[in-house]
Amino acid sequence: MKAYIMFGVKSFTKQMSYRSEVWLRLLGNFAVIFIQAEIWKAVIGSGQVDGVSAQQMITYSIINTLMLALLLHRMSSQVDGSLKSGAIASELTKPLSYPLFLLSSGLGSSGYQLVFTVIPSLLIAWFAFGLIPPASGLHFAGFLAAIGLALSISFLLGYLISLIAFWVMNHFALDWMLGGFITIFSGTFLPLWFFPEAWQSAAGWLPFQFLGYVPAAVYLGTLSVTETMVLLVKGVAWSAILLVIVHKLWKKAVRRLVIQGG
Amino acid sequence: MSIIEVDGVTKTYRQYKRFPGLLGSVRSLFTRQYVEETAVRDISFSIGEGEAVGYLGPNGAGKSTMIKMMTGILVPTSGSLRVLGNIPHEKRKQNSREMGVVFGQRSQLWWDLPVMDSFDLHKYVYRLPESQFRSNLDFCTELLSMSSFMQKPVRQLSLGQRMRVEIAMSLLHEPRILFLDEPTIGLDVIAKDQIRQFLRTVNEEKKVSIILTTHDMKDIEAICSRMIVVNKGNLVYDGSVSHLRNQLGNEQRVTIDFRFDPGTIETPGLTLIQDNGVRKTFLFERSHTTVFECVSRLAAQYPVEDASIETEDIDSVIRKLYQQLDQKERERREIG
Repeated sequence: MKAYIMFGVKSFTKQMSYRSEVWLRLLGNFAVIFIQAEIWKAVIGSGQVDGVSAQQMITYSIINTLMLALLLHRMSSQVDGSLKSGAIASELTKPLSYPLFLLSSGLGSSGYQLVFTVIPSLLIAWFAFGLIPPASGLHFAGFLAAIGLALSISFLLGYLISLIAFWVMNHFALDWMLGGFITIFSGTFLPLWFFPEAWQSAAGWLPFQFLGYVPAAVYLGTLSVTETMVLLVKGVAWSAILLVIVHKLWKKAVRRLVIQGG
Repeated sequence: MSIIEVDGVTKTYRQYKRFPGLLGSVRSLFTRQYVEETAVRDISFSIGEGEAVGYLGPNGAGKSTMIKMMTGILVPTSGSLRVLGNIPHEKRKQNSREMGVVFGQRSQLWWDLPVMDSFDLHKYVYRLPESQFRSNLDFCTELLSMSSFMQKPVRQLSLGQRMRVEIAMSLLHEPRILFLDEPTIGLDVIAKDQIRQFLRTVNEEKKVSIILTTHDMKDIEAICSRMIVVNKGNLVYDGSVSHLRNQLGNEQRVTIDFRFDPGTIETPGLTLIQDNGVRKTFLFERSHTTVFECVSRLAAQYPVEDASIETEDIDSVIRKLYQQLDQKERERREIG
């Protein structure tokens, strides 16, 4: 256990070496939130569209932008790096569970993002654009649970991509594709409630909504308590499904392993 | 009792065909043509507990592939392989507790942290009790004289220092087998010597079995009594180092300085290989006479100032083995 904690700390401290990135990212997040806030103010104005006000949409945008930052764990590029350099050879000759090793590094990275990007960005956005408080204590609890689900689904998706990289030896295209799915179906840019019927139901069946839409919608209280509960259960089910898939795939991937330069 | 049992192991890689040029790279996208490359072909051997074995062969002979199969990170295409009684890739985690692995060209250390931090992490990864960790670390620190750089970040170490740390680390959990893939590559003579001496001590006193690949024959001479030679995936020699030397290295080089150039010399048993006038070099093949007899016969006939006799070193023995193998293959191809 201690070993995994140390791997997490290590990945946290490794991110520190990219300090100038912190400032750029804060600036970038501010810009993204600013643009979205202006768009929603222009589109909705002082009234409401589909029962949603501009102020609610700004909060929605802030939560989604910060979720994206939090989920920047670079899991698949880490595996890709060790596959290409061959470092995976020494990682695999240790009495470690490779998935847990990846998880702990991923948590370290996310922890770093939380401290150095998410929290400062949140404070800046709060002052600049204002933030609506959570709909209720219960909704806030649901929001925290949804963040937990988002982390677990995001790690599993990243891990899934890494495992597929064992076959194609390059994760970039896969990562790009995953990014595309997340942009559309997570509701990060356009909340799912604005989607046409067919797209809404497609997004409802996919796991990506848990990465952005679900936490924000739960926070804002646009869903009833029962709807929230159903969604959270669905999220747990998705985590379980992905867990089974990656577990099966991992066994195959290890057999496939070709160590570069050997 | 044997701890490694390799029986008819073959490993092939599938390499998809790539076409050269810009158009070729587009074509490569659609092709499913591939060539099977055999890195290891039908190899069998067994290694007993406490043995020190040198695994030797020219570049691309399949040495690293074999090590990676024995450590469980590659799966053999066919044949059976058992390490510590287990199939390595199935019991990878279990076996890893009893194994130390050093890849000379790759580091398992934390690049930007002090050496001691890497050792500490190792303690947690292998769940070592503090007392065991301490005593093993002290043992290695002393024999490898590491105390001066324990607190330095790994990136500031010289290659020789880093290698000593890597080897020490692979032994902290008291493995029964130590795999070393080119542990002395790129090191200076003193660092090489220290590592060799240390590995010999570990093998003799701690009874750790050692399997080592290298291109430096002195590593093998200093550490291993047994040698396995592979070439192009095939096993070509498995036996003691001294036996191979006797088999191939029965030549000695005799250099004689004359007072003046004696002209052409006819001596049975000596073949002239280099003639610089007063200094001549001969090759002596071991036979019923000794090299000493030959030289003294020569000294009786000619004015000899000085004579030196060199036994062929193991490097040239190996060179000869590789040349013989090349020759055999060429002959086979010509017949075919």
